[in-house]
Amino acid sequence: MGSIVEPWAAIAENGNANVTAKGSSRELRHGRTAHNMSSSSLRKKSDLRLVQKVPCKTLKNILSNLQEVILGTKLTLLFLAIPLAILANSYNYGRPLIFGLSLIGLTPLAERVSFLTEQLAFYTGRTVGGLLNATCGNATELIIAILALANNKVAVVKYSLLGSILSNLLLVLGTSLFFGGIANIRREQRFDRKQADVNFFLLLMGLLCHLLPLLLKYAATGEVSTSMINKMSLTLSRTSSIVMLIAYIAYLIFQLWTHRQLFEAQQDDDDAYDDEVSVEETPVIGFWSGFAWLVGMTIVIALLSEYVVDTIEDASDSWGLSVSFISIILLPIVGNAAEHAGAIIFAFKNKLDISLGVALGSATQISLFVVPLSVIVAWILGIKMDLNFNILETSSLALAIIITAFTLQDGTSHYMKGLVLLLCYVIIAACFFVDQIPQPNDLDVGLQPMNNLGEVFSA
Amino acid sequence: MAGIVTEPWSVAENGNASMTAKGSSRELRLGRTAHNMSSSSLRKKSDLRVIQKVPYKGLKDFLSNLQEVILGTKLAILFPAIPAAIICTYCGVSQPWIFGLSLLGLTPLAERVSFLTEQLAFYTGPTLGGLLNATCGNATELIIAILALTNNKVAVVKYSLLGSILSNLLLVLGTSLFCGGIANIRREQRFDRKQADVNFFLLLMGFLCHLLPLLVGYLANGKTSAAVLSDMQLNISRGFSIVMLISYIAYLVFQLWTHRQLFDAQDQEDEYDDDVEEETAVISFWSGFFWLVGMTLVIALLSEYVVATIEEASDKWNLSVSFISIILLPIVGNAAEHAGAVIFAFKNKLDISLGVALGSATQIGLFVVPLTIIVAWILGINMDLNFGLLETGCLAVSIIITAFTLQDGSSHYMKGLVLLLCYFIIAICFFVDKLPQKQNAIHLGHQAMNKVVTATGGGVFSS
Repeated sequence: MGSIVEPWAAIAENGNANVTAKGSSRELRHGRTAHNMSSSSLRKKSDLRLVQKVPCKTLKNILSNLQEVILGTKLTLLFLAIPLAILANSYNYGRPLIFGLSLIGLTPLAERVSFLTEQLAFYTGRTVGGLLNATCGNATELIIAILALANNKVAVVKYSLLGSILSNLLLVLGTSLFFGGIANIRREQRFDRKQADVNFFLLLMGLLCHLLPLLLKYAATGEVSTSMINKMSLTLSRTSSIVMLIAYIAYLIFQLWTHRQLFEAQQDDDDAYDDEVSVEETPVIGFWSGFAWLVGMTIVIALLSEYVVDTIEDASDSWGLSVSFISIILLPIVGNAAEHAGAIIFAFKNKLDISLGVALGSATQISLFVVPLSVIVAWILGIKMDLNFNILETSSLALAIIITAFTLQDGTSHYMKGLVLLLCYVIIAACFFVDQIPQPNDLDVGLQPMNNLGEVFSA
Repeated sequence: MAGIVTEPWSVAENGNASMTAKGSSRELRLGRTAHNMSSSSLRKKSDLRVIQKVPYKGLKDFLSNLQEVILGTKLAILFPAIPAAIICTYCGVSQPWIFGLSLLGLTPLAERVSFLTEQLAFYTGPTLGGLLNATCGNATELIIAILALTNNKVAVVKYSLLGSILSNLLLVLGTSLFCGGIANIRREQRFDRKQADVNFFLLLMGFLCHLLPLLVGYLANGKTSAAVLSDMQLNISRGFSIVMLISYIAYLVFQLWTHRQLFDAQDQEDEYDDDVEEETAVISFWSGFFWLVGMTLVIALLSEYVVATIEEASDKWNLSVSFISIILLPIVGNAAEHAGAVIFAFKNKLDISLGVALGSATQIGLFVVPLTIIVAWILGINMDLNFGLLETGCLAVSIIITAFTLQDGSSHYMKGLVLLLCYFIIAICFFVDKLPQKQNAIHLGHQAMNKVVTATGGGVFSS
């Protein structure tokens, strides 16, 4: 990645870091991205006075470290769900309960992981920091996907990843634009559309990769045997995944190296930041402690995700919701909660570039990185996962991308745009809510709806 | 159309013709288009010194004529493939060889035809010259399509035309933008999007004309028989073709007459490198005309070989006919334009690259395709606009992604890379596509729906 010549810039900048769009050079000097920016709005300044009173130095260090990491967020209260979930699992309480507790426990963990990544980025330099953010930003989705794959629940993987993309494109973006528009109702809200455009055509390329296996199956049914269709679809999907990963690497090169200036925000950032963005430029924990915490938290995330993946069917039966609804709607809301809150807060402050950077950047990462990576991991594990996400999901994806791209193409925003995106998300959620189609466990090509299409048109 | 164009024919301009986007007024005075511009980059300046030594004037003229036409291109090296292909046919060499040699031979021929058209345009005046370019620019695709029709290989026709559009939209444009972006990585690359927009809404209209017959095919249920539906598809396809041709004529009127200024690029510099030709024709009108007719005949001959041997080549090389028609044939047919577009993108003259790629796509989409349908109608062959679900889906996404990518009027290498990767993915899709070929034109793309009823439907969602 590179021979970047800019020096590791002064930690001695003005007290408040300038907040600009994802990937701008100043953030990268600290390895920060819009993702981290938004999560930072959920942090609390650590009150170190209590710890200062502790006499022993190492104990003081440990305690302050603990306080930074565990208590440094407003979501700390949800941490209690983690031991509760573990307890419930050990004592075999109701599985829906385990599911719910695990979900709640995942929320603060996702936020802390992004905090730790940001801290580590202080030490690793800006390019590696940018890379670290780009990869770990969606750690939760990646871990859930891989665990579900290991349990051979390919449908859950597909749904949860699709739901993540939809949630980022419609829910996060919609609520941000809506609340931002209401709060700034007298002001014009502008953002830089070049950055948004890059994300959109990458998303369109991802859509192409999902569309082709789907169309191939429809075109081929009845002509060749089902196993042949599956083989063709798999080969196509696996090759497309490699191509998508190549595109993602090119996107990183583009964003972090050759066209970094494209991602710098237009706005002149005022230096007066309120207490939400209280991030100093010095890291608050040491490198190795940060690293150890990161590993530890990832393990806990893996544990809770294991519970989630195990208990999803029982929760679905017990709560009367389809697995598709839980995977597409509930899981991503949980996984994205911290980013979501941050995006809204920045939209309130009329810093739309950051909100867009968060939402669109996340969507692009999941679509071009997590999805193909899952297909390749499945390939390695010998599981047959392809990119065919079925007609309902693929259509939702297509329309979400098109409507969001169209909405953002003029570079301005108002609350109506946010409201429409939000309502589209509600419509899609309603669709999956009423969707009671049973889950298959095998690899049959699902084309039953076409049987009835004739009746639909003749009615 | 043979117009009321009042601008004077002016050959005495400055030495280097100003190069502007397809259809600009100055090019039209010379009857040149971006199409010819890009091909011109493959030309060599004729070295007439050797010829001057020949004593007889008639022989000298004849030889210089020959040199201009045959040797005047860097692709001249591929010319030997033509006699080789002819010899192979008569000697009964295996068919895949004939196929390959014919393909190779077509490449320089396509380039020479565009050169000859340009030369003729010097004599015929701007409007007629523009028309000539617009029509002959895609001579190869048109001839292959008509020959395949006469052999009743409707699938090959459809695939090759679709592949041409996809290749122009994604491959030519993608490589141009990518190479241009890498070469100009420190500069901002801008182009005039008005011209691109005109092409895109015409392409979208063409897409609509493909979509509706496809959807009609899905109306099958117990009450409507397949025959009624295919009749419907055929009739609406023919009707749409007439509409598409009307819109193409309107596009020509728009581009060459009423809104010519829209196609004038922003200020281009006047200094050009050696790739640009002088403004005088290098061969006379009648010799040019005869060469054009002759080359067209040779193209027809080679295309006949290609169409006849495509199935054997497909079996021998283990590639599906759809892959060969959609991917290989257009790459060959477009090779000269492709190279030219890339070269102009290197020089940061994106308007020309875009003019080539998008103009070609529009011509094929709105001219060659409906013309083929009408020719099929005359010949009594049932060809409709339903190109199949997979192919129409690819077309839709290509148009949308290219339109979206180009809508802000600037470019960088990432855009080119994404378009290129999309083409690559589509190519892979047709590569793994082992569906058997349907030679029966009427039920192309239609059988799938009948069989779905009996498909072993498992769950709706594949895992």
